[in-house]
Amino acid sequence: MDKILVVDNVSREYPGRLAVSSASFHVVQGSIHGFLGPNGAGKSTTMRMIAGLLPVTQGEITLFGEKMRPDHFALKNKVGLLPENPPLYLDMTVRDYLSYVASIHKVEKVKERTDFVIEQLSLKDVTHRLVGNLSKGFRQRVGLAQAIIYDAPFLILDEPTNGLDPQSVVELREFIKKLSKEKTILFSSHILSEVEQLCDHITIIHQGKIRASGNLHEIHQKFRQGLVLKIGLSVGEQLPDLSKFGKYQSTHHSGGHEEHFHVVFEDDKDCRKDLSRFLVSEGKGLLTIQVESPELEDIFLRMTEKQS
Amino acid sequence: MMIWHLYKKDMQSYFSSPLAYVLIGLFSLISGIIFFNLLVTYSDGIQALPANYSQDISFLEEVVLRLFANINFLFLFFIPLITMKLFSDEKRQSTLDLYWMAPVREWQVVMAKGLSALSLVLSMLLMTIIFPIIIYGVGVKNFSTLGAAYLALALNASAYISLGLFCSSLSENQIISGLLSILSIMFMWMITWGGNLNSNYLVAEIFVYLGITSHFERVLKGLMGTQDIVYYASFIFSMCFLTVKSLGRRNW
Repeated sequence: MDKILVVDNVSREYPGRLAVSSASFHVVQGSIHGFLGPNGAGKSTTMRMIAGLLPVTQGEITLFGEKMRPDHFALKNKVGLLPENPPLYLDMTVRDYLSYVASIHKVEKVKERTDFVIEQLSLKDVTHRLVGNLSKGFRQRVGLAQAIIYDAPFLILDEPTNGLDPQSVVELREFIKKLSKEKTILFSSHILSEVEQLCDHITIIHQGKIRASGNLHEIHQKFRQGLVLKIGLSVGEQLPDLSKFGKYQSTHHSGGHEEHFHVVFEDDKDCRKDLSRFLVSEGKGLLTIQVESPELEDIFLRMTEKQS
Repeated sequence: MMIWHLYKKDMQSYFSSPLAYVLIGLFSLISGIIFFNLLVTYSDGIQALPANYSQDISFLEEVVLRLFANINFLFLFFIPLITMKLFSDEKRQSTLDLYWMAPVREWQVVMAKGLSALSLVLSMLLMTIIFPIIIYGVGVKNFSTLGAAYLALALNASAYISLGLFCSSLSENQIISGLLSILSIMFMWMITWGGNLNSNYLVAEIFVYLGITSHFERVLKGLMGTQDIVYYASFIFSMCFLTVKSLGRRNW
């Protein structure tokens, strides 16, 4: 898959503070790439550097094969940015605001494009209202509308669902999913379940350093601590000794119609086939056996706590 | 074309809020009171003098030039009120990012904001057009003096606006930007006064040249020379240049 964005050994220094330190990761075409990190980790600074709003102190950012600089206007027009605080003119109507953004981006058919974006983001009912009089959810939608109005193929969304009510969150997520069919999206969020739901690739940043980056499945595999199995046996049955399969630890939970055993093998080798045969040969009523992946939240906490 | 888009948006922003109307109304009211007072003082002066001496008091100097000098004083408060929000507000609301994400250069934003502020000041001055009509009515038909006076005000307004733009680009706080503009304009006046008080001829001349008052007075009296054109052009250009550099500071 093509790499649309390559962040190569990028650092950003503010007076007396290193906000981002030797960050390297890439974003592949057509993906929704989750960008995770606690507050102050360097997410927004990195996103602003990618958008060309901040120059890098060291390293290089390549977007669509070209080096990003704050004065590379043609390249910046290929990036749509929704910052954490959307840049909205509160004294303008929604239509005027979006038309204005389209004009300064030299969109050819401003009216048609504005109508299209208003329709796409369901802003028709508020099109003649002042942005300052809109609810947080609508303002966020207008912010997203300004990011897509010039049809940039790469979008950077900095915590787009932050502070929205559940209904707006669901709607916005659906819209982002729809957008991802045509665009590549770099998406930051504090809600890890949201990232798991939306993203196929992630990057974790903490204290300005990249802690992990890649395909979500690969990251799950990478941060798996040995083989974690969930085994279900018939009611009243106990787990026999499994030491022939390697060193392990198990915990037992009785519940409902089966006995649950949470078994962690130190060795990562998938032994489910032999293990299920063994349990059956031991006369156990084997009801379930499945591999458990660590939650993204566990990985995230491990990554961020380890360094704190 | 880009400057036109930016200019149009700023003009819409002025006139979509009560600020522009309040400023225009207040400015017309205060300048009207000043004009009325000058007329009354002039007519009282004429009546108090013996008939032989009455021609010694020039209507142009006592009323017209004083009126425009007073309007220049009003600019000290009105122009910072207009310019203080231009960049401060955008910085506070992070809306400048919209420009930096688009193919917009800093100088285009500075030009558009400067021109929109100047348009508002000129529309304030348009309200004072009633004074020349009254002056014409009382028999003074010296249009060249009136033209020079308006030109002097327009040049001073442009210089103050460029100074205000720079001050506004320095802070996110409108009040700080406004106060800084007022102090800077006062400083520009005081340089001339400092020159007048200095006994060293060369130093005094430099001070007088650097201060805005001497240039304003020359243009007001219809004596505009090359040095005044160079002064206003270089002052406005330097302030705009500094504003562009100040906006570019986000890259430091």
